[in-house]
Amino acid sequence: MVTTTYHKAGSVLDHSLESLIHRLRGLCDNMEPETFLDHEMVFLLKGQQASPFVLRARRSMDRAGTPWHLRYLGQPEMGDKNRHALVRNCVDIATSENLTDFLMEMGFRMDHEFVAKGHLFRKGIMKIMVYKIFRILVPGNTESTEALSLSYLVELSVVAPAGQDMVSDDMRNFAEQLKPLVHLEKIDPKRLM
Amino acid sequence: MRQTEGRVPVFSHEVVPDHLRTKPDPEVEEQEKQLTTDAARIGADAAQKQIQSLNKMCSNLLEKISKEERESESGGLRPNKQTFNPADTNALVAAVAFGKGLSNWRPSGSSGPGQPGQPGAGTILAGSSGLQQVQMAGAPSQQQPMLSGVQMAQAGQPGKMPSGIKTNIKSASMHPYQR
Repeated sequence: MVTTTYHKAGSVLDHSLESLIHRLRGLCDNMEPETFLDHEMVFLLKGQQASPFVLRARRSMDRAGTPWHLRYLGQPEMGDKNRHALVRNCVDIATSENLTDFLMEMGFRMDHEFVAKGHLFRKGIMKIMVYKIFRILVPGNTESTEALSLSYLVELSVVAPAGQDMVSDDMRNFAEQLKPLVHLEKIDPKRLM
Repeated sequence: MRQTEGRVPVFSHEVVPDHLRTKPDPEVEEQEKQLTTDAARIGADAAQKQIQSLNKMCSNLLEKISKEERESESGGLRPNKQTFNPADTNALVAAVAFGKGLSNWRPSGSSGPGQPGQPGAGTILAGSSGLQQVQMAGAPSQQQPMLSGVQMAQAGQPGKMPSGIKTNIKSASMHPYQR
């Protein structure tokens, strides 16, 4: 089933993380604060075309027994310039543990990997993740990692059926609540290449 | 007794002056009379001038106070203002989106913004974009799926230019096998 993901991102410096967490706990749904430690690997399939096919495989390192998560993210929709969030098609699949072997057999090769460690909050259908990205120094060895920067990445995302523009308005209102601590905006990764 | 909730036991002649008074106290009345005669004595123009000077002084005072407040606030806030770094945002989004800065054999400590390595990170980015152009020019000439050699070249640094060229040569030599 193809769904649409709406995405906004920002970052927060390490020393302001506590204030951000407090504010998010106040704003978001009243759940136990959830932390996660995930290992994500990005696979590329190079075909005849110039641009390779990208799939993202993610596994939880701290919750044993949870399925792996395979995700396809399409190109950002170049729609309304005034829309406040980055809109992409996405397909999310839960898989078993032999995902990497399967992908390698299909001809995919791993392009890069990283470890993400942080907190997860929810507000209705919005998901807010605050996490630190760790570079993996020895390929395949998730024990030897090193933080990529002095900041935590803050991502606000919604997975919803296509064409619901009200979602991006809700996201903008939520992003307003987090200013001036964090500045969430729609960032097109292609502009950063 | 009932009407006053028990506060006035007897409605007598002593209670009446206090409870039913509508005029201000005699002393207050005297003072008010004096003030009104003084005000009438000065005359309308002089009174206007006094009003204006009073307003001016008040507004000057208000300005000074608000300026003081603003200056002290900004002075206190400035060191704490930086709660996020936009360069970090871009670096992190790029890392998640296409692995910029995540190559395993890149020397550690080179991608920390705000550190002395900042100029180094800038040149590395410039070098890697140059490399990508080299790779894109080479891609149309080879028409087979590339293995990890290509991915390494795409995310490389200036120091890795020679290895980019090496992978091109490697792919050329694979032609006979694929054909």
